[in-house]
Amino acid sequence: MFSLRGLLALSLVLISLANAKSSTGNSVLVVVEPTRQGDFSIFFDGLKGQGYDLTFRAPKDEVPPIIEYDEASFAHVVVLASETKNFAKDITPQSLITLLDLKTNIIVALSTKQTPLTSLAPEFSLILPPPGTPLISYFPKRDEPASVIPISPSKHDATNILSKNLAPIWFSGIPQARGNNPLLIPILHAPSQSFASEVDGGSADALVDSAEKGGEGLWAGSQLGVVTGFQTLGGSRITWLGGADVLSDEFARKEVSKGVASGNTQFARDVAAWTFQESLVLRIDKTEHHRLNETEPQELYTTNDQLVYSIYISKYNAKKSTWEPYSGLKDLQLEFTMLDPHVRTSLPSVAGTPGKYSTSFRAPDRHGVFKFVVDYKRKGWTHLHSSTTVPVVPPRHDEYPRFLSAAWPYYAGAISTSVAFFLFSAIWLAGEVREGTKRSAKSSKVE
Amino acid sequence: MPPKTTQASSVTPVNAFQSLYKAYSDNTSDRLKFIDAFLFFLMLSGIVQFAYCILVTNFPYNAFLAGFSSTVGQFVLAASLRSQVNPENKDEFKEVSPERAFADFALGSIVLHFFVYNFLG
Repeated sequence: MFSLRGLLALSLVLISLANAKSSTGNSVLVVVEPTRQGDFSIFFDGLKGQGYDLTFRAPKDEVPPIIEYDEASFAHVVVLASETKNFAKDITPQSLITLLDLKTNIIVALSTKQTPLTSLAPEFSLILPPPGTPLISYFPKRDEPASVIPISPSKHDATNILSKNLAPIWFSGIPQARGNNPLLIPILHAPSQSFASEVDGGSADALVDSAEKGGEGLWAGSQLGVVTGFQTLGGSRITWLGGADVLSDEFARKEVSKGVASGNTQFARDVAAWTFQESLVLRIDKTEHHRLNETEPQELYTTNDQLVYSIYISKYNAKKSTWEPYSGLKDLQLEFTMLDPHVRTSLPSVAGTPGKYSTSFRAPDRHGVFKFVVDYKRKGWTHLHSSTTVPVVPPRHDEYPRFLSAAWPYYAGAISTSVAFFLFSAIWLAGEVREGTKRSAKSSKVE
Repeated sequence: MPPKTTQASSVTPVNAFQSLYKAYSDNTSDRLKFIDAFLFFLMLSGIVQFAYCILVTNFPYNAFLAGFSSTVGQFVLAASLRSQVNPENKDEFKEVSPERAFADFALGSIVLHFFVYNFLG
């Protein structure tokens, strides 16, 4: 009954999302032991249904190489060989870091065993518990072993990555303590009653002992993560799974309670969608700047100019494989900087123009080389960074105000002198004429 | 030109000013009085501008220089006109007729105002 319904749901998902593809590429390399390949068939079929091209490779195979001629061969890499101690020569922690630099996205599964990947985790500010200590929880009471835990996403988890109202997720593996690296994105936290311990030594005394002698304290509580994402400064994404089983068919089919399917299938879909740059992917289409009431940018701006800055942002729509204008960002900021931000203002979306964010501000009364900087870094979202350099110059000699109100007495003085001069001249000349006529009249009389 | 009257030597200061004024109004021709009135106006205008500069602001300084120097320059030109048309100075300005003196005054003033208005704004 359940499997039939699950199959139906799966096929529906496959049909509806058949064209969904990543924004960065569709080739996926899966590094998995051939014997375990069948254990993840639901996850793999889901990826294929999304339109991904899967290539499988055993951990010790030499081909296909992950990096060829300094180019990443695949857009995405999934390393599910969590218990393998010896990988082929080209799969090393260094090569995975190089892959991230080449904008490849990675999903890595950890395990309780010490492997090369265990030493890679600290590079991402993830602190792993000692080997052989999986996450254990005795709550809620259930038939499964204590190391197989149903985890319900809480409000502290990455709600923008995971689907809403996700059913509890079966998890088995190790937790990770997170350093305070701002690039870390906790996707799923451990339940608050859980702790990391040896499976058999889970007695209270052993726990107290480990807490006292470990020096690192007790590995327990909801501060631990079980699935953690990391977005590099270059924009590539890597997701650390505490255990590969969270993607497995067994957990996907396992009921959480009677008649309630587990959330693993959807969780795997969500994690893959985020890691493979399908969801929460933004880009800057273009930026514009000009003076108020103008449309063309100036080469130079003058101090105290009223400036208008606009930015157009698109979000990737994985369902249609297209970029669509996106006006949903509420906390976008613009900085006008010369070493320090001289102006920092909010950049609200413009109603009526999808994807456009615009603001107007007065350039500071300071000349120099300024930059319009938009730097948007939010957990889970693609980091947006745009920097446009513009010079701001003082007014030219003829751009200052010419006549000032403070100088009116001087203007009045000069004008009144001129007027008085003209009146004086006119009266002087008029007097001369009058005298002349008088004189001529007199002389005529005399004559 | 100083009036050469004031014969009464033992008079009070008030009487001295009165007699000075009386002598001035009696012995000065209307033309010279007219020039004196013009000079008096220019002096007042200059004093007002200078007081404004000292008490309120000298910004913009070019406007102050233009306004103040226009009154000073006009004063100098008017004063020279007065000395040239004064009949008592006929001996000193033999070859300068009053018409010629006024023409010099007018030309000088026009040039002065040209510079003043260029410097004002």
